[in-house]
Amino acid sequence: MNDISLSAITGFDSGPTVQLKELESDHIKFSLSNVDLSVANGIRRAMIADVPTMAIDLVEIETNTTVLTDEFIAHRLGLIPLTSTDVDKNFAYTRECNCTDYCNLCSVELNLNVKCTEDRTMEVTSRELISQNDNIVPVTIDDQDPGILIAKMRKGQELKLKCIAKKGTGKEHAKWSPVCGVGFDYDPYNKLRHTTYWIEDDEKTEWPLSENAKEEQPPIEGEPFDYNAVPNKFYYKFETTGSMEAKDVVLSSLNILQAKFDELRNELKREQNMNQYN
Amino acid sequence: MNAPDRFELFVLGEGQKKLTITPDTKLPNAATFTIQKEDHTVGNMLRMQLLKNKKVLFAGYKVPHPLEHCIILKIQTTPDTTPEAMLMEAFDELIKEFSTIRNKFEVIFFFFFFFFFFFFSINIFFFYIFNLE
Repeated sequence: MNDISLSAITGFDSGPTVQLKELESDHIKFSLSNVDLSVANGIRRAMIADVPTMAIDLVEIETNTTVLTDEFIAHRLGLIPLTSTDVDKNFAYTRECNCTDYCNLCSVELNLNVKCTEDRTMEVTSRELISQNDNIVPVTIDDQDPGILIAKMRKGQELKLKCIAKKGTGKEHAKWSPVCGVGFDYDPYNKLRHTTYWIEDDEKTEWPLSENAKEEQPPIEGEPFDYNAVPNKFYYKFETTGSMEAKDVVLSSLNILQAKFDELRNELKREQNMNQYN
Repeated sequence: MNAPDRFELFVLGEGQKKLTITPDTKLPNAATFTIQKEDHTVGNMLRMQLLKNKKVLFAGYKVPHPLEHCIILKIQTTPDTTPEAMLMEAFDELIKEFSTIRNKFEVIFFFFFFFFFFFFSINIFFFYIFNLE
């Protein structure tokens, strides 16, 4: 019912085609057909490594009397996803910003100040992080969500620190990746023989078909191998870390790839003009 | 201590050129392009796009070393054109391709919510009728 494709709406089929199967704010499932494997894989790579988000990058620890070391806590803080809608437009990279160290245009300050005074184990979670910017806050699903555990404390222990969240991409560190890995699949029947299954006895029982197999024609018994065949339909499925909407991750990755080729195109043009005058 | 900065992977160094063209000294209509701070994402797409072109006799790319953040793209074409022109065509094609894919996604995201709302309202409607009976 929710499986709709553009060709079904517009009535013609040419060029890249998208079929959307599931869409929620933090989860998407779609297939892309009539594109090259390299383009499909490029989109996957761009979604993982090139879409910018915010993540804690600097931590100044004032007091830490918990059992965890400073760097351990700093690492945990870095991995907390922060809501990063429209970070692309609203923030600059710190290295490109005009300020000397960091400023409001390229970073967000988050503070944590907790002390355990009760005679029981206290959990410090991402909910205790107080952001200076209402748009960049630790991700929570709803009001019941307890947040992400940072440390556990007993009576008398204290944790006080200042975090600086910066804009970055998954290329630099995985904490900036907006997705939890991207499921990418093509040719579920392995007709193209791009993969060789490792088997004990029987391939069919040991390697069950993926759910995408129902969208493709099963191979006919005794069919000769088509060595000219190329993959045509690619199945994607991924969840975001909560930092961005799933659809925004897709659109952003496509914009980024287009911008990349745009830049290269201009660069080539300039290079050609320079060679003409020399 | 002597670890290179992480951003060296994608930020162009001081005085570094994004793209350099080196014509081949031995072959006519052949050139090597060095693209700085790009990886397999761009390299593989360019290679496949170039190979689709009948005028391209050879197109191949490599990432020379994991610590050298560049791709080296070699192109040889037929005598009636140049590697530069073919690369330009590949760029244009890819830019066009991504803009169509993006447009399709935008339309489909728009329609998805529309359809969802549509089916949802129909369900409510039937539920209402059913309850009346």
